[in-house]
Amino acid sequence: MSTTTLPPDGFTPAPKLADVLPPRKERSKLGMFAYRHPTIAVGGFMVSLFVLMAIFAPLLWTVDPTALAPARRTRPPSELYWFGTDMLGRDVYSRVIYGARISLIVGFGVAICAASIGLFIGLISGFIRAVDAVVMRIMDGMMSIPSILLAIAMMALTRASVENVIIAITIADVPRVSRLVRGVVLTLREQPYVEAAIAAGTRTPMIIIKHILPNTLAPVIVQATFLCASAMIAEATLSFIGAGTPPIIPSWGNIMAEGRALWQVKPYIVFFPAVFLSITVLSVNLLGDGLRDALDPRMAKRI
Amino acid sequence: MSSSAPLLDIQNLQTHFGTIDGVVRAVEGVSFSINAGETVAVVGESGCGKSVTAMSILRLIATPPGKIAGKILFKGTNLLELSEPEMQAIRGNDISMIFQEPMTSLNPVLTVGRQIGETVMLHEGLSAKDAEQRAIEMLTLVGIPAPARRVREYPHQLSGGMRQRVMIAMALACSPQLLVADEPTTALDVTIQAQILELMRDLKTRVGAAIMLITHDLGVVAEMAQRVVVMYAGRKVEEGSVEEIFLNPLHPYTRGLMGSMPKLGSSLHETGRSKLTEIQGQVPSLRKPIIGCAFAGRCPNVTDVCRQMAPAIEEKAPKHLVACHYAPRAAAAA
Amino acid sequence: MFAYTVRRVIATIPVMGIVALFVFSLLYIAPGDPAAIIAGDQATPEDVERIRASLGLDRPFIVRFLEWLFRVLQGDLGVSIFTNLPVSHMIKQRLEPTFSLMLLTLTFALSCAIPMGVVAAWKHGTWIDRFVMLFAVLGFSVPVFVVGYVLAYTFALQLDWFPVQGYTPLSNGIGGWVSNLTLPAVALGSAFIALIARITRATMLEVLNQDYVRTAKAKGVGQRAILFVHALKNAAVPIITIVGIGFAGLIGGAVVTESVFAIPGVGRLVVDAILRRDYPVIQGVVLMFSFTYVIVNLIVDLLYTVFDPRIRY
Repeated sequence: MSTTTLPPDGFTPAPKLADVLPPRKERSKLGMFAYRHPTIAVGGFMVSLFVLMAIFAPLLWTVDPTALAPARRTRPPSELYWFGTDMLGRDVYSRVIYGARISLIVGFGVAICAASIGLFIGLISGFIRAVDAVVMRIMDGMMSIPSILLAIAMMALTRASVENVIIAITIADVPRVSRLVRGVVLTLREQPYVEAAIAAGTRTPMIIIKHILPNTLAPVIVQATFLCASAMIAEATLSFIGAGTPPIIPSWGNIMAEGRALWQVKPYIVFFPAVFLSITVLSVNLLGDGLRDALDPRMAKRI
Repeated sequence: MSSSAPLLDIQNLQTHFGTIDGVVRAVEGVSFSINAGETVAVVGESGCGKSVTAMSILRLIATPPGKIAGKILFKGTNLLELSEPEMQAIRGNDISMIFQEPMTSLNPVLTVGRQIGETVMLHEGLSAKDAEQRAIEMLTLVGIPAPARRVREYPHQLSGGMRQRVMIAMALACSPQLLVADEPTTALDVTIQAQILELMRDLKTRVGAAIMLITHDLGVVAEMAQRVVVMYAGRKVEEGSVEEIFLNPLHPYTRGLMGSMPKLGSSLHETGRSKLTEIQGQVPSLRKPIIGCAFAGRCPNVTDVCRQMAPAIEEKAPKHLVACHYAPRAAAAA
Repeated sequence: MFAYTVRRVIATIPVMGIVALFVFSLLYIAPGDPAAIIAGDQATPEDVERIRASLGLDRPFIVRFLEWLFRVLQGDLGVSIFTNLPVSHMIKQRLEPTFSLMLLTLTFALSCAIPMGVVAAWKHGTWIDRFVMLFAVLGFSVPVFVVGYVLAYTFALQLDWFPVQGYTPLSNGIGGWVSNLTLPAVALGSAFIALIARITRATMLEVLNQDYVRTAKAKGVGQRAILFVHALKNAAVPIITIVGIGFAGLIGGAVVTESVFAIPGVGRLVVDAILRRDYPVIQGVVLMFSFTYVIVNLIVDLLYTVFDPRIRY
């Protein structure tokens, strides 16, 4: 064919075009991760910082957070008492550092309990129609009770303790996780590979473990992170209105509850635990946002 | 009508997108023009930049992440230099557009009448009542029965073909001089396709609009267009009259396109064309600058020259432009 | 349309029934002896027995539940252990401040959050968007009472623009009512604004990518009309859904906000009841708020038909 032979007049190159946009910046692997998921990087770093702070509280220049010293009551922040002292003379700095323990225990405790119970209920009711009808009606009813009020009612009926706070908040959170998991299960059930497994006679527990569970984990982990954050706020709220952790335990909510009476004259007693609580919750929420974007793009679109 | 200046003259259009993975060069140096009343088809595979070209004309590209460079002269005015309000006055009025997906291109929560009437309210300052009247007229024009009832209905109450008619009614409501139709029939049934094409041809003669028809369906091209622009990997690789492109395709990519089109009875006289041929290989990534000819990776006649030097687009036959080093020059043009 | 309304209304009845059953059974679910806990540490065995009898814990669950439900349906929520007054009466006295606060918060929050979310979606990726998102994460992370104290300290104590605490009934003039409720409404609204702004932004981002928005733009529709007519109406259903769901948080937040700003509302009533272990009051308030929440979500369901012509089942 004539097309394979050289044309007699040689070749004309196309004119070069200028770049319209600046080229992409080159980044290292770690840099690229931080660039794509800045919230995971920042949130994760800050959460680890708070966890370390809670673990190593005794080493962080603290004193006994429950030691009373009536002689030095309500001292403002100074070189000696970094965050001042409360009305019983206790060192607010030490109380705030130790308070991280309660917040994190409640946050992680609720996240783990609510996620596992919710995962269990959601899986079962997503797979067994008869259970689904009953369980989901109950969950609807429970979700219609504002969660703080539900926790208040339960705390009013039990003795104040960290465990009971965790239980009360968990019960209020379980319906949300169950609904989420059930929704995922119902969509997964329709997937051809799951239908094929059912048709092939694979036993239900096997299908749940092999095909369903792995796919529900990502949304549950994301949800658990947000539950952790909201549980820390719930604990502080409950303690603040006197329905939470026993007053003897220095939790951030308790410190604020005790500072409440004096907030107009000694605002720092409320201020420091408030700042710590807010930043901790913020870090967990940032981490959750990042995880959602990274793990669960379907959900990321929705909220 | 003056024949000298084209209605639309695109010069060296570049539309790039900044993404997290680098710059995507969706359209790279495309030039062509459309005369008043003419129908020009832009063909190519999906992802070749034909839709982005169309969207660039109306400046429907989000900037950022996109960026449009070059010149888009509409009646001598560079659209890329207009302010956003000036551009709004042109959209839907002088230039309007029909989209591929009639099912999703209409707003589900607004009535059909409202959506057609909005155009004339915006551009001709009609009252809501007059706009509805015009909407009814337009629905009649595009052949929708019971238009007075239909204007009060929502898109979900209409079939796909009806919705595309509504889209056309909307696009033609202000008698535009240029209609950009982006695959107007792709999503429709074959029988409905024919009706819609018939309607477009009919309305074109009545309204006198030029049409830029984007399609990958060569049958539609043959039926509708006077001239054809072939695009590949964001570039124009060939341009010519319908007859030239169909009977004498010069670029190996265009030949491939023709070869991949089933032809009735072609085996009778040409044994080599009896099978539906497909073009081997993949479209090059647009994320990296392409060195050499963009088609080099798939071209059956590729040489080292092609891999190193991008071919200029040249007139190798009268009014027939090709970007290929090895396209034969017709005797008349040489 | 009518059938849809009737069906939705009927669907709330079993939900309310389950709410009632659950709230009632808390007394039985709670670990330990609720009568002893309510009576307190210094109570004599006789006190405990008296409370046990008054709570009906000495009789079978189902008998007691049906009796209780029957009385609740007649508006009788029991009698306070502390004041011996009917709970329904105590709640009724305190409804005005609470509903005033919620109404003001809702109005304020929606009129801030929706424009914020719309603009953030429109200016996606710019500093305005980042600012809104930052605000949204902060709103979720800072507890209501902390926001309350910061506002009270700044705008009431330091600047003296608003009263520090208290409530003026609407009947005493709208000026005092508004000035007393402004700071509480802003505090209570912060988390709600965060929630609504976020969902508005996310939904708008999705809607703005739809083909019909491109169609509108191709017609020459201006930016404002695209955002607030073509896009927002399509985003309305997810947004009002979240408004309904978020109402629970608003109720919970109101309880705390009323404590911070000493507003004599239902929330304050429940906090006082906690300190006195006055369970009938707590139970009554929980029930009242839960029913309110169910009704709010019923209204949301009915509003769907206003915004989306496709919902007519």
